[in-house]
Amino acid sequence: MEMILLTLRDIAFAFVVALGFGILFSTPRRVLYVAGILGGLGHCIRFLLLHNNVHIVPATLAGAVFIGLTGIFCAHRVHAPPVVFTMPACITMIPGLYAYRAMLGCVKMTDLEKLIHDPTILAQTAHYFVLTSSMLFTLAIGICSGALIFRKKSVKVMFKRTM
Amino acid sequence: MIPNEAEEDEGSASACRAADLLLDMGSVLLASGAHCGRVKRNIERVAEKWGYKVELFLSFTGLMLSIKDSQHPTRRVARFKSCPLLGVHFGKVTEISLLTWSVLEQDVSIDEVETRLKEIKAMPHHPRWMILLGVGAACACLCMLAGGSWKDAGVAFVASFCGMFVRQEILKLRFNPMIGFIAASFITTLISGLNMVHHFGASPEKALATAVLYLVPGVPLINCTIDLIEGYIPTSTARGVNGGFVLLCIAVGMSMSILLLGIYNF
Repeated sequence: MEMILLTLRDIAFAFVVALGFGILFSTPRRVLYVAGILGGLGHCIRFLLLHNNVHIVPATLAGAVFIGLTGIFCAHRVHAPPVVFTMPACITMIPGLYAYRAMLGCVKMTDLEKLIHDPTILAQTAHYFVLTSSMLFTLAIGICSGALIFRKKSVKVMFKRTM
Repeated sequence: MIPNEAEEDEGSASACRAADLLLDMGSVLLASGAHCGRVKRNIERVAEKWGYKVELFLSFTGLMLSIKDSQHPTRRVARFKSCPLLGVHFGKVTEISLLTWSVLEQDVSIDEVETRLKEIKAMPHHPRWMILLGVGAACACLCMLAGGSWKDAGVAFVASFCGMFVRQEILKLRFNPMIGFIAASFITTLISGLNMVHHFGASPEKALATAVLYLVPGVPLINCTIDLIEGYIPTSTARGVNGGFVLLCIAVGMSMSILLLGIYNF
């Protein structure tokens, strides 16, 4: 029961995040809600996977690929290109905390005495840096997963042929 | 001989007009945050409908296009247009995509495409209060998602709201956009750093880390990877370098206020 509430809370917050970034990127008003829903569901998938002890990078990949693929179907329904709402939806999973820790590590490393006293700073900073960049790369792969899998020129053409 | 020549002139004039229009369309798409594959698809869609073959070269600050009439291979036009570094605007990307589909399916005339493109170019962003509230709410929710308390989320809201306001004011004064990024992240971190100094919320680190996320150049960085996958190397490199530099500016602004407040000792 508590798990369901936590999941719903996660979806609600991710919905608002995707909506906010949609507004920042000037996504048309009529498709803003699609960005919100995709962001909520994608983040919820990552949340559930993390809860089941999956590592954060594959969990992010799963969420981002879900957003990328579902975005294609939504694009056909609402008549707008998929990037318009998959981009804000994926931003919900942006690794802000890790990026901040990597940056703070760099600031700490400017002090040589501190670094010699506690060399783990170096390892931590490298770890957070690698985590941040691999998660950013993962998000990009998620967004273009549709183009990678279907190999068709346009989503709209693809749907016409199958129908 | 004379009627033939007149016809020839008219033909190349319309080819020039089509080339200018396609170029205009491409530069708006490129500036509003579409990846190269999308720019190319949209331009080719219209050009093929009007009976031209297109060759396109995309760079970050401009694009080059040469079109050839399929019926009269001697009619060729090559043009270049530099494109401004505007902010991301997905509304324009959507409208241009819809415009190219209506050309393909409903046979819209070139005059109408020109007027509609003009309208699209003048499209405004969302109202300012909406952007400010959206940014604040998004950062507050990111703080909650990262595990912060309600108080931390409140601080993140205020910090990102003020930072975005400062950035818009600086852009209005036509400073360099990078100055805007540094100033915005400085102000944001200053406000959310006060939370850490005064121990207001339960986990102030979360607020500090998430309040600046509205500045992250997500669109250039993601487009960089997409272009790399699709093989548009020059554009991809330029976007990556641009996005990386914006990240560096954010880090500079943050470190300035972190050093000022002395938070790195915590």
